[in-house]
Amino acid sequence: MSIEIRKLTHIYMPGTPFEARALDGVSLTIRDGEFVGVIGHTGSGKSTLIAHLNALIRPEPGHVIVGGVDVGEKGQSLIEIRREVGLVFQYPEYQLFEETVEKDVGFGPRNLGLDEETVKTRVREALLQVGMGPEILDKSPFELSGGQKRRVAIAGVLAMKPGTLVLDEPVAGLDPAGREELLKLIQGIHESGVTVVMVTHSMDDAARLCNRLVVLNHGRVAFDAPPGEVFRHEEELRDMGLDVPECVKLVKALRARGMHIEEGLYRMEDVRAAIEREVGKC
Amino acid sequence: MADAIIRAEDVEFRYEGAQEDAVSGVSLQVERGEFVAVLGRNGSGKSTLAKLLNALNIPQKGEIWIDGIAAHEEKNSLEVRKKCGMVFQNPDNQIVATVVEEDCAFGLENLGVPPGEIRRRVDEALAAVGMGEYAEAAPHMLSGGQKQRVAVAGVLAMRPEIIVFDESTAMLDPSGRREVFGVAQELNRRDGITIVWITHFMDEALRAGRVLVMDAGKIALEGAPRDVFEKTEEIRRMGLDVPPMAQLAAQLRLDGVPLRAGIMTVEEMAVELCRLKSAN
Amino acid sequence: MLKNITIGQYFPGNSFVHRLDPRTKLLLTVALIVAVFLCDGFLGFVAVFAYVLLAARMSKIKPRFLIRGLKPVAYIVLITFLLNIFFQSEGEPLFSWKFITVTDMGLKRAAFLAVRLVLLITASQLLTLTTSAISLTDGMESLMRPLTRFRFPAHEIAMMMSIALRFIPTLMEEADKIMKAQMARGADFESGNLFKRAKAMVPLLVPLFVSAFRRADELAMAMEARCYHGGEGRTRMRQLRYGKNDLYAGLSLLGLIAVIVLFNALGVF
Repeated sequence: MSIEIRKLTHIYMPGTPFEARALDGVSLTIRDGEFVGVIGHTGSGKSTLIAHLNALIRPEPGHVIVGGVDVGEKGQSLIEIRREVGLVFQYPEYQLFEETVEKDVGFGPRNLGLDEETVKTRVREALLQVGMGPEILDKSPFELSGGQKRRVAIAGVLAMKPGTLVLDEPVAGLDPAGREELLKLIQGIHESGVTVVMVTHSMDDAARLCNRLVVLNHGRVAFDAPPGEVFRHEEELRDMGLDVPECVKLVKALRARGMHIEEGLYRMEDVRAAIEREVGKC
Repeated sequence: MADAIIRAEDVEFRYEGAQEDAVSGVSLQVERGEFVAVLGRNGSGKSTLAKLLNALNIPQKGEIWIDGIAAHEEKNSLEVRKKCGMVFQNPDNQIVATVVEEDCAFGLENLGVPPGEIRRRVDEALAAVGMGEYAEAAPHMLSGGQKQRVAVAGVLAMRPEIIVFDESTAMLDPSGRREVFGVAQELNRRDGITIVWITHFMDEALRAGRVLVMDAGKIALEGAPRDVFEKTEEIRRMGLDVPPMAQLAAQLRLDGVPLRAGIMTVEEMAVELCRLKSAN
Repeated sequence: MLKNITIGQYFPGNSFVHRLDPRTKLLLTVALIVAVFLCDGFLGFVAVFAYVLLAARMSKIKPRFLIRGLKPVAYIVLITFLLNIFFQSEGEPLFSWKFITVTDMGLKRAAFLAVRLVLLITASQLLTLTTSAISLTDGMESLMRPLTRFRFPAHEIAMMMSIALRFIPTLMEEADKIMKAQMARGADFESGNLFKRAKAMVPLLVPLFVSAFRRADELAMAMEARCYHGGEGRTRMRQLRYGKNDLYAGLSLLGLIAVIVLFNALGVF
């Protein structure tokens, strides 16, 4: 189910000295099967945007339409929207609370009113999706390692079988191996047919995984295009406090030196192939 | 070494009730004024090592000397902590007071420094990290990078010889990371403060004077960033990353492109590729 | 955003009352409470009332803030007032209906109590509105210091208070985040009966406690790293110093108490 955002504006604490415009006329559509990266400086409105996708904030003014249903409409069942759009917060391991992993992952599906049998299967499936076997079910979530906790927390959202998974900086604070592992899992989840929206600070991660980037700046959409397109605007991105991947910089540097490398390459494999074609193997 | 400000010899540390040593057989020397980055996956012992340097952990075996003071003896811990300050990972969990300047004064108050002197040093330290204008702000209203700079100021006011940063940029966004790393670099260059910089970010390690890589409680690799990151395979095996250009260079070499050793930055890569191309 | 809540209810300013030493203000508040209880005639209350009113004017705090602070306790005042009217049988009956009798003594007592409560609340409000949290804890620590001789943990109590104040906004923000995260997993904090709602708090409270403990642990470590070793030999950057104004304020309150005592002695109603 696609998610359509129309002219969404959000003002924090209106009418107080702390008034701040977090979102300012944002319009975009997230289509089925996409892997969208949402990028922006802290305070650019990323977190506010994704809280809207999950109906945690009422769109006012503006519309968020999930699979044809207007989230802001009065009397709309929020639980159905929250099931359809799964939201994984930053440092999701801080939301774990049950005695066992099984109970914790089952919290979401149980809130959906599913019967115990279904909950049980869902929990096992969700844990498999994050690379964890049934041996973990009876453990306390508090005795797991940092990376494991985070995967369990993500499983807790996956167990609700969302059509779209929204992740707010899923790899923040992990070590390189943990990051790599989790990014691969997210890629796998996307390949299994789930639409993914990922908020990230890392241009390298975005370049690797996303097929579309939405760059937010001061609550507005600055760019909304495939990564190769977005990375052409290195100057503007830098002004927004953002960077481009190293490979993009390399392509630019090589072109400036008169080498024939196509513009718009950003994946390391592509850049490597282009260099080999140009420099030749010796 | 002529002037080793940190000297550890065969240090062993095990947490209470743990099955294995968190740090075992670690020996290292850091010279006055060095900027040393420490890398290693979670659980490799780098945080434990950091806490050994300022007597938050006392080793079961081995000796640690901090500017001539025995940090392996519990009775010296106050002296050691004066010499070797520490900035932690979570900015929220190391700020004690409800006002920035009060927090900055905390360490000096603990040491019983006279009030006038505290005032002077606090102002100085806040100015040094660029937080002078926030002296009276409430910490919870600051950004992550600003909070970490306040934490640095709090340590700095105590005039330490060494500052250990234990993954102090891990929870920050890119601009916050730049802020805090920049402050550390400046303290190192301008004031000659020795920096031990623990991190997961390879781009930060690349800019250090020396890199130590920890694995399973031991120092596995050590040397100039260039030499260490040249060992792409080994580093990856230890669950770490190499800078993107080092990785690209390694792959190109595998494919038969005869790149020189030690390529870490975009500039170096571009120059080297041009050289190769014109040589062909 | 919960981030913007103010701690306590400090209202920044630079008035005469704001500039008083926090210890003076703490002592004055205590003395004012004593004065209120000393009063046994209406004229005494008028004197105290005039004093509080004058202090409020000098603090430049808008009266509506003081009135707003009285709202939550308005019911308590009303209830004590009514209870005292109806359950006082001494004195001359003024009014009688079935089992209810209102006497002149009852009316007097009820009125006294209500006025006392209002004055007490207004006085302590003046203190918290004009004194920042940090000054308050500093003042308390300083006043309690003589008690350390009797092993009273003055420093520890002040430290605990200031850390609590520091972490209230952090934990509030965290509670908000956890609540949202659980709502995203379909948690419902709003509907159902009392029991159901209390149960719904578990997914919020458990992570919040876990996190508070983790924070406490890390904070303790960070404090130790900065050479914290209790209150012994500790100095403070901010020094509390009594000034002329503190003397004036103190004398004025002594004057007030003298007036009340005089009224009492003369038996003025």
